Amino acid sequence: MFQNRTEALALALPAAIFAAAVFLVPVVILLSDGFRVPTGGWTISAYTDFFSNSLNQAVFLRTLRLGALVTIASAVIGYAAAFAIVSLEPGAKGKVTGLVVLPLMISPVARTYAWIVILGRTGIVNQAFQALGITEAPLRILFSETAIFIGLLQLFLPLMIISLISALENMPKDAIPAARVLGANWFQVFWKVVLPLTKEGLVIGGTLVFTGSLTAYITPAILGGSKVLMLETLLYQQVAVSNNFVAASVIAFILIVMSFAANILLKRVATARNKQRSQA
Amino acid sequence: MTLRSLFIPITLLLVIAFLIGPFLIIVAASFSAGETLAFPPQGFSLRWIAKVFTVESFRASFGMSLFLAIGGTAAALILGIPASYALSRYKLPGAEIVRTVVSAPIIVPGIIVGLALLRYIVVPFQVGITLALFLAHTALVLPYAVRVVSASLDNLRSDIEEAAVLLGSSRLGAFFRVVMPNIRGGIMSAFILGFVTSFNQVPVSLFLSGPGVRTLPVDMIAYMEIVFDPSVAALSSLLAFLSIGIVFVAERFLGFSRYV
Repeated sequence: MFQNRTEALALALPAAIFAAAVFLVPVVILLSDGFRVPTGGWTISAYTDFFSNSLNQAVFLRTLRLGALVTIASAVIGYAAAFAIVSLEPGAKGKVTGLVVLPLMISPVARTYAWIVILGRTGIVNQAFQALGITEAPLRILFSETAIFIGLLQLFLPLMIISLISALENMPKDAIPAARVLGANWFQVFWKVVLPLTKEGLVIGGTLVFTGSLTAYITPAILGGSKVLMLETLLYQQVAVSNNFVAASVIAFILIVMSFAANILLKRVATARNKQRSQA
Repeated sequence: MTLRSLFIPITLLLVIAFLIGPFLIIVAASFSAGETLAFPPQGFSLRWIAKVFTVESFRASFGMSLFLAIGGTAAALILGIPASYALSRYKLPGAEIVRTVVSAPIIVPGIIVGLALLRYIVVPFQVGITLALFLAHTALVLPYAVRVVSASLDNLRSDIEEAAVLLGSSRLGAFFRVVMPNIRGGIMSAFILGFVTSFNQVPVSLFLSGPGVRTLPVDMIAYMEIVFDPSVAALSSLLAFLSIGIVFVAERFLGFSRYV
């Protein structure tokens, strides 16, 4: 540890001042827009206006609903996938984990665009459904909540799987066999042994998936179209189409509050885990 | 075969098909000879791959994205390395505040950062769009730069640079001759992570576009809303192979995944 304060500040301040000037100050001013009265003073009327509009309510609820559904689905699939991966031989485990991580390196635009080919009117799903005689006319899957759900799940599932793999690997090796020997069935093993022991990994993965889904722009923009909006695409429309900067500020504030709440939860779980480790 | 021994291969097959399959379909569709985006592809040709290189706006926005990814990441490292060094080696007053401020851009959704910059930097100070994009991408990459460089500094014993200083080297000389060579892998990994993050970034750049000034992913979204031909698929495949290639090489020579 060096003690020289002047040197320390000279090294750290350029980055801090840059981040404050380019990022923190403009964002704080933007967020305050929604609370300011143009003639001076403060108000929350922009928020009551925003939530009294039924379209805005629908978008807000849809964003929460999709965030929750994607998080739950990724947890269910994530546990199955992570279980399968940790039970592989070390060599195969590395390769399969690599395949799971690989999509994270690919541009989200490219990954989302692929779903147009799959879910579109003449896409693979409709071709298959019609060939099998399940439907006669092509189904409208694109530009719906279902399409956004599928796109978000594919985008964020790897984050959940990775969190759960490390949680399962940190679990004591003999916990499952011990529970089996003592007569627990597989449901009890999961519910009473695996879930409590991997809770932190689940919360970390869940937070990443949930905040990622809430604040996703590309997926709803490409797969939801201009009708099925989420908060980010609504924000974009308010600015680009309606020039309504107050509404944009309200949406920004809602998004930030939700991301911060999720991140605080994440931090709390992380510190709780460190405490547990240092006690062990 | 019992039910349990089937569970593992079937689960893995389904999950990997879900995660990788769409990408393979895009790659296949980009070799189509047909006029519209379709799978299975109609015939085989390289015409859409070739077309990507002839679309003027793609060339311009690719150049812009490349400039932002390289320049923004370099700027973030120039700011981030000294800050990380101060955070890990000095008793810094207000260390927690500095850490929070430099890593905040990762928590705030990009679309808000872009809008805030547009309204309170670009408009009042008459800043050009290119400069605004550069500032935004630097701020975006800064948290990653500080996190990765801090981690490799924390893994490096600090007594070797103290020894260098005791033996007569200046603090600065000790940093460049002793510390830098030891954290080079971390710095290069931070650069690659920053490059990929910046290059793929959309929301920050959405509002920061002007006539002829756009980043490549934003340009791709605009193009796919108007034209339904396989050229965006072709471009997506090319970019995907580019980033996979970069990460693969980085993993091979740096052990990239140790740092990120």
